[in-house]
Amino acid sequence: MEAEVIKAELVLPTHMSFKRIQMYGKYPKGQSKVRWKQLKQILQAEICQNYSPDEPNYVNIESPPSMQPCKRICDITGFEAPYHDPRTNLRYANADVFKLVRSLPNEYVQRYLALRKAAVVLR
Amino acid sequence: MPFISKIQRQTDYNRFPPSTPIVIDNGASYFRIGWAGETEPRVIFRNIVQRPRHKSTGETVTIVGDHDPALLKYFDCTRSGPRSAFDSNVVFQFEIMEYILDFAFDRLGANGSRIDHPILITECVCNPVYSRSKMAELLFETYGVRSVAFGVDAVFSYKYNQLHGICEKDGLAICPGFTTTHVIPFVDGEPVYKGCCRTNIGGYTDYLKQLLSLKYPHHMARFTWEKVEDLKMEHCYIAPDYALEAQLFQKGGKEAEDKTRCWQLPWVPLPTEEPPSEEEIARKAAIRERQGQRLREMAEAKRSSRINELENQLHGLEFLLQQLGQVQEEDIPSFLSETAKGEPKPEQAENEEKADSCTSDKYPLINVPDNMLTPDQLKEKKRQIFLKTTTEGRQRAKQKCVEEELERERKTQQDEERRLENPQLYLEQMHTKYKELYEKIELRKRLKTNGGHTNGSNSGGVGRGERLNAAQRERMRLLTTAAFDRGKGEDTFGAKDEDWQLYKLMGKDNDDDDDGADEDEAELARVSSRLQEIDSTFVPKLEPTASQPAITEVPHVRPLTKEDFQIVLGVERFRCPEILFHPNLVGIDQVGLDEMTGVSIRRLPSKDKALENRLTSSVFMTGGCSLFPGINERLEAGIRMLRPCGSPIKVARALDPVLDAWRGASLYAANSRFHQQTFSRADYYEKGEDWLRRYQVRYTL
Repeated sequence: MEAEVIKAELVLPTHMSFKRIQMYGKYPKGQSKVRWKQLKQILQAEICQNYSPDEPNYVNIESPPSMQPCKRICDITGFEAPYHDPRTNLRYANADVFKLVRSLPNEYVQRYLALRKAAVVLR
Repeated sequence: MPFISKIQRQTDYNRFPPSTPIVIDNGASYFRIGWAGETEPRVIFRNIVQRPRHKSTGETVTIVGDHDPALLKYFDCTRSGPRSAFDSNVVFQFEIMEYILDFAFDRLGANGSRIDHPILITECVCNPVYSRSKMAELLFETYGVRSVAFGVDAVFSYKYNQLHGICEKDGLAICPGFTTTHVIPFVDGEPVYKGCCRTNIGGYTDYLKQLLSLKYPHHMARFTWEKVEDLKMEHCYIAPDYALEAQLFQKGGKEAEDKTRCWQLPWVPLPTEEPPSEEEIARKAAIRERQGQRLREMAEAKRSSRINELENQLHGLEFLLQQLGQVQEEDIPSFLSETAKGEPKPEQAENEEKADSCTSDKYPLINVPDNMLTPDQLKEKKRQIFLKTTTEGRQRAKQKCVEEELERERKTQQDEERRLENPQLYLEQMHTKYKELYEKIELRKRLKTNGGHTNGSNSGGVGRGERLNAAQRERMRLLTTAAFDRGKGEDTFGAKDEDWQLYKLMGKDNDDDDDGADEDEAELARVSSRLQEIDSTFVPKLEPTASQPAITEVPHVRPLTKEDFQIVLGVERFRCPEILFHPNLVGIDQVGLDEMTGVSIRRLPSKDKALENRLTSSVFMTGGCSLFPGINERLEAGIRMLRPCGSPIKVARALDPVLDAWRGASLYAANSRFHQQTFSRADYYEKGEDWLRRYQVRYTL
């Protein structure tokens, strides 16, 4: 280790005095082989538990969809966008922006759409 | 930078008795830890972990929090991005959590064999019991903590500010955080979780980062997360009405100019090449002319030498003819060999003459009828017939050649005459002809490549009818007729030999096309060469290459100016915070901040008008995202739209939205009755998960 790295104490030391079980004891092979449950799985497990619906839990308190009409803004400039391009599925504000939209390579189109979560995801 | 990390190791750990609780604010963005009763947390750092490999030793190390990038150059950070223990404000990766806690306790100065203090740790609203139990387990087992309490950070913030009079006993706490936004109603100082409301929209640094990267793809490397966060803090604001602001910018008036911020990146102006001076240009032109002259001279010399050669040949042949007239027939071969003419032409002439002279000798048998000849003679006769026909055919072909040449000569002569009499008209005609031919060839090439492309990319599918050219359409037609000719059920294609002629037809179709193309190209070449000769201003259009792509944009090769290195933040300044109020803009189908208050009030179990009024008259904002200018007014306007007319609305912001949660928790933990709210290891193991789920601290002590 270089001197300045040690001085800055950048790296986490491997032995901590206040710990009962050290990290290398818990995970002898480096990183843990345990697959932690993702949030989706945790929530599914919760739902399966059949708690009474009155009690608030993580899923209960989520907010509903909006009642207001959806605001459409141009994907590129941010202005109000009444128009929609059927080929690329982007929204645009006026003719100049449209020219830009049509000249974008596909990668950028997908990234703009991903901002809106409207990209085509091939999985 | 408003958020600063404090990671200095504390030295006074031993001063605190084991009854002093340690207060941890475990947020998705920052992790704050300190002692109860103090006003500032001791250690603050970003809640991320990196595990890069050291470049020289190769071992994998752990780095917690954000650090000076200069030091990180010793590590290979390509395969280890920063990882967070959170998944949208719920802790799920407890290994990372352990690293973070290690680091935190270490910097707090912990020593001894266990953490001997009660711990108050924050969590999200309605934390799933899995997460809670795993956290408790971690603290109890690994760190040996004696007792633990869980609380919600927004509530602590509210209580703290309630003490300071910012908000009332009943009110609404709105907490836009790093990953989510919560609205929690308070009745009698206690949060009512039933009326709680959560939208999964939060810190929009990512959104801003994406927008800027897309707008300025050249400078993508500049937009690091930290830098974008700085930009966000400094420049973003919330517009009172998005549509109006957008229109303002669209018009591009002076007010829009005022509101636009410009970030100048460091750049170095390239040394400009001076435009070539006059002398340079003149010199280059002179060189070019000299080269052209040289080429012309060479061409002339070649032509004249060729003319000389041909003339010599002509003289020789004339002489020969003369001599032949004098000499007798039989002496021709010897005479020719004497004169030692080794050229093929005289030889050919000799052969032909020989053949001619022998015609009458050699084919005597032809005229003799068959029945008078012996079998040998018959064979002889057949051979003679064959020879005769071939020689006759050759002669005919030669004659045709000669005729064609004459024809061509005549045509060129006519051309010349036409040119001489009316040069201008002739030139125009040539030009038009050239253009037509060129276009025809272009079209055919385009069709061919288009057809070729689609056929190639279709992986054999011949179903696309629209882009096939004539040949391919013909081929398809042939194929389909062949396929359907046989009738149902039986496929006897190939039984007869004639069936395979189909492919020959198809092949021929293609060839015809090519031949046609070649003809046209030859014509085009001729016309262009003619034009080049007579017209000095004609420039033949470059032959399109085989790999002709679709229209490609010529990259601008102008020198980069100062403006290219400026990042302009105009609309983005208020577009990004807008997603807090309209999550639809990023595709999240949930309500925004202003509507969330309505939902929250609606969800309350008790419907009391007076209570609602009290709630709205004390709306409290906390959390990192509430620091933006203009959010108060916007929220007020939003709530006013939802509530009946005339209801009192007052929006207040926390004293310090970022640190108030920790301060509130610290105050709470310092209270003497805090230990009643904690639970110990024994409790946890005895009472089980169900009890843990129902466990909530009582916030008013």
